[in-house]
Amino acid sequence: MVASPSTADRYDRTPAQTRRVKARLQDPAVQGLVLIAPAVLVYALFAFYPMLDVIQLSFMKWNGLTAAKQWVGLDNYRYVLGDDPVFWVAFRNTLIWTALSVIFPPLIGLGLALGLNQNIPGRSPLRALFYMPVIIAPIAVATMWRWMFDPFFGLFNSLLTTAGWTNLIQDWLGDRSVALYSVFIGYVWEVAGFSMVLFLAGLQGVSQTLIEAARIDGAGRFQVFRYVTLPALRPTITIVLILSLINSLKAFDIVYGMTGGGPAQSTQMLAMWAYTQAMQLGDFGRGSAISVVLLLMTVVIVVPYLRWTLRRQEA
Amino acid sequence: MSGVANPFRQAGAERIDPLLVALWITLIIVAVIWIAPFVFIIFTSLKSNATVMGTGAFSPPTSIAWENFANAWRRGDFGTTVVNSTIITVIKVPLGLMISAMAAYSLSRIQFWGHKVAFLAIVFGTMIPFQVMLAPIFKQVNSFGLINTYVGIILPYLAFGVPYQVFILHGFFKEVPKELSEAALIDGASHFTVFRRIFLPVSLPVLAALLILDFVATWNEFAMALVILQDPDRWTLPLGLMSFQSQFARDYGQLNAAIVMTVLPAAIVYLIFQRYFVSGLTSGAVKE
Repeated sequence: MVASPSTADRYDRTPAQTRRVKARLQDPAVQGLVLIAPAVLVYALFAFYPMLDVIQLSFMKWNGLTAAKQWVGLDNYRYVLGDDPVFWVAFRNTLIWTALSVIFPPLIGLGLALGLNQNIPGRSPLRALFYMPVIIAPIAVATMWRWMFDPFFGLFNSLLTTAGWTNLIQDWLGDRSVALYSVFIGYVWEVAGFSMVLFLAGLQGVSQTLIEAARIDGAGRFQVFRYVTLPALRPTITIVLILSLINSLKAFDIVYGMTGGGPAQSTQMLAMWAYTQAMQLGDFGRGSAISVVLLLMTVVIVVPYLRWTLRRQEA
Repeated sequence: MSGVANPFRQAGAERIDPLLVALWITLIIVAVIWIAPFVFIIFTSLKSNATVMGTGAFSPPTSIAWENFANAWRRGDFGTTVVNSTIITVIKVPLGLMISAMAAYSLSRIQFWGHKVAFLAIVFGTMIPFQVMLAPIFKQVNSFGLINTYVGIILPYLAFGVPYQVFILHGFFKEVPKELSEAALIDGASHFTVFRRIFLPVSLPVLAALLILDFVATWNEFAMALVILQDPDRWTLPLGLMSFQSQFARDYGQLNAAIVMTVLPAAIVYLIFQRYFVSGLTSGAVKE
């Protein structure tokens, strides 16, 4: 790190300049800034700025291609919230999807984790199997399930035919009343393993001595679970629920790949509708207004969790 | 590794616990349901179209149609998409981890102005899904003239990968004993040296875990690539698979061969590095 004047000359710096740069770099605060700069720069330019920009764009009329941007005030919001027939369908679907995502995958994950935490053979391969779908590309999961839901040769209708329950045969992704739930079944398969792994980690923190003690005191299985395991899992439960909630808002690929929002917008979601408005219908203003609504919903959820996390970090 | 001593017994108990046996059977049934899609996809990928239509879902292929893979590879232009995915992943993953580690060290060990705010922004960033704002990201990349380029997709990938990795590494670096770095600093070493010579080596397991998680995430990413890589010559594997599905959805055998080829690399990485996945996921999220 020691640069002699001759090396400095090669970089076209006077010795005095080199000395100044070196003196600055002696300062720990400057070193700290140098280390953090690349991450902050790329984050500010490509994550934080777009987040602010989307707010500005939501007050504009712009097709995304030409230079002509026009300030239109609240027109985009008025259209999206008032006249857009799809927005409220997408809003409702997003709420249903989020509610289901917070209930089913965590419950299944908890069940699997509790089971795999017992003294039974084959725990490792079973755990590996349940987690496997999590690492598969969501778009591939969508393609897989779309094929399984195929009305003619897909897995589900073939099985129903074999079983003789022909009255249960559905056009799983083509029927407006069932399509959203069909997609959700694929989603459960994809993400349940994620909750399971977090719960398994949480269960490692449950004190075995406490469980033993409760048992010796005559507590039954259910009582041990209710009064020892469950309270000890509380931080894990919070984390799993919040992550499930946030991940459910990210569920773009699986819907895009399975139905593309159809049939007749019955599986449309806010994130995908924002994308469609901006990138496919060429209305960046309306698309951004939808994004802002979704961002606000996210922030309302995230901020309390953020405060909780920070308090845990300090502790 | 699952060689549990005396299975089906409560700790310390002699007798087999019937409830544990029932639980085990339930888990096996769930496992069969979980594995069924994989079996179905692999079987279909090895059947000719006529066989797919003529035989049951779980009847194994009688004559193996390997040509499905060759045909899908050619028609789906996998040669191009695999190369694109590889280039993007190989550049993005190590680079992203490097800048995240530097930032995490800085945040956890150096007091400078604004470092509280920076940490807050990072944690906030871990929670905001980018799927929410694809259009403004497109606009920003476009304003640099980087649509349809590797750099244009790598930069936003880096940006959205930083928060989670910094969060995890920050948590880890904070636990490294102060004496370790302070002795070196007193001896006149710079923070750059301490970071490179002390912190990087001790955090290798965490870095390995994050590397593998990020490899899979980058390899699988779809929505951002959909917006930024519009030229088929720049498509990544997930985009190629999506396009394959929309064009050749009725070539069941080939479609499933395409799925298998897309999924295989990540699945292999997962099976090899399984234990790192769990440690990478949980080291930050669940702290006791």
